[in-house]
Amino acid sequence: MNTMPYLFAAYLAIWIILALYLYSIHSREKTLREEVRRLKQLLKNKP
Amino acid sequence: MSEKLQSRLDAVLGIILFPGMALALYMALIGAPRETSSGMGDLQRIFYFHVPAAIAGMTAFAVNFVASLMYVIRRNRWWDNVALSAAETGVMFFSMVLVTGPIWAKPAWFVWWTWSPRLTLSLVLGLLYVSYLLIRNYIEDPEKRALISAVFGVIAFADTPLVWFSIRWWRDIHPSPMLETGNLGRSMRPAFFICMIVFQILLVFILRRRFYLESLRGEMESLERQADAAR
Amino acid sequence: MLIELRTKDTLNSMLFFGVVVLVIFNFSLESLRESIRPAVPGILWVAFAFSGTLGLNRMFAAEKENGCLQGLLMVPVDRGTIYFGKMLAATVFMFISEIVIFVFTLVFFNLTVWGEIPYLALVFLIGTLGFTAVGTLLSAIAVNTKLREVLLPLILFPVILPILVNAVEATNIILNTTEYRSLRLPVSIMSVFTIVFGTISFLLFEYVLED
Repeated sequence: MNTMPYLFAAYLAIWIILALYLYSIHSREKTLREEVRRLKQLLKNKP
Repeated sequence: MSEKLQSRLDAVLGIILFPGMALALYMALIGAPRETSSGMGDLQRIFYFHVPAAIAGMTAFAVNFVASLMYVIRRNRWWDNVALSAAETGVMFFSMVLVTGPIWAKPAWFVWWTWSPRLTLSLVLGLLYVSYLLIRNYIEDPEKRALISAVFGVIAFADTPLVWFSIRWWRDIHPSPMLETGNLGRSMRPAFFICMIVFQILLVFILRRRFYLESLRGEMESLERQADAAR
Repeated sequence: MLIELRTKDTLNSMLFFGVVVLVIFNFSLESLRESIRPAVPGILWVAFAFSGTLGLNRMFAAEKENGCLQGLLMVPVDRGTIYFGKMLAATVFMFISEIVIFVFTLVFFNLTVWGEIPYLALVFLIGTLGFTAVGTLLSAIAVNTKLREVLLPLILFPVILPILVNAVEATNIILNTTEYRSLRLPVSIMSVFTIVFGTISFLLFEYVLED
């Protein structure tokens, strides 16, 4: 029985999960960073 | 630690990781010898990532345990951030385990799922820490959330050895016709160790990134409070 | 007095629910009618677990809603005592339910078990204690969340797994085999679980009640 497709699927799955998670962290970080910037700007404008 | 040191550490980790992952992949797919004893050949190579992922996940949960305990004692938000990062990271690694496990099992044992001790434990552990994340999701007050999830974190980790022994014993009573998973021949060890180490470094890297996210959130929240007060 | 009325309610619903679970099993396992005995341990503990969860849910839910929890906290009683009180109450209720459910099981599935009763009682008791030891703490946790009691089964069952697995196996050993010697392992695991988690829950309980 050819097991290569399964092997490939497994490694692909690992990469996908990793990539998805890292992307999720990255996009959350971006949103937060913008929020922080916006808030800092807000506070600067009304001391 | 100073900011500069932190970002330098992140850079170092990232630099190590890139070739590290490549090396791990090479070792797993090419460098390691083909398995001959059980006729599964290349399929067995899944283990080189499957098992290190499981170990990385367990390490993450251990970190969560310590962080939870420390939070209950010290009530410092820093520990809560660590706990959350560790739980999420651990769940991610365990989802790797739970996906690659059945992918391996299907051609090997002709079934997608077996109630083998390791796989069952992975499922239960995954459920436990998903519960942890769920609990966090549904409590709004940050201090209460931190405390309560810390309590649950302690419970979850304390439960783990008991779950393991129970499942092992249960399996002894109801043996299934499938053999337990592969043995580690001596020639396989270098590949295995390299993958283990790479995954641990990956774990640290992800933990730090996730932690940074939480501290950003903390900064945002305090800024929000300031903004509200200034209004 | 209000508490007494409520507790009778709780017990009744636990009993009723347990019996309903039995009936459902009866219909879903129709094909096993003749040889149901091997399945009985599993059926029993599923019914126990669901009924017990119901009881645990009710334990804090009502108090949270009525704000009684604040009143309870103001009494200068050690938090640990509250824990034991709750746990004991839950254990009693659950044990009573188990007895009733067990009797119904005997009737529904036409079983005879005279000699095994003392052993069964022991296993039921330890299993119940383990269940409520952790369940009390987790119920208090669940009530604090937005989902309230709905969260309890979710977080309870993975944690309670050692108890369930061992209890079912132990019950099976008693009912379906004669090697009572092998009871030692499951009973010790359950006891360890109960002691460990009883202690942990006792220590951590006060943190969950802080408001």
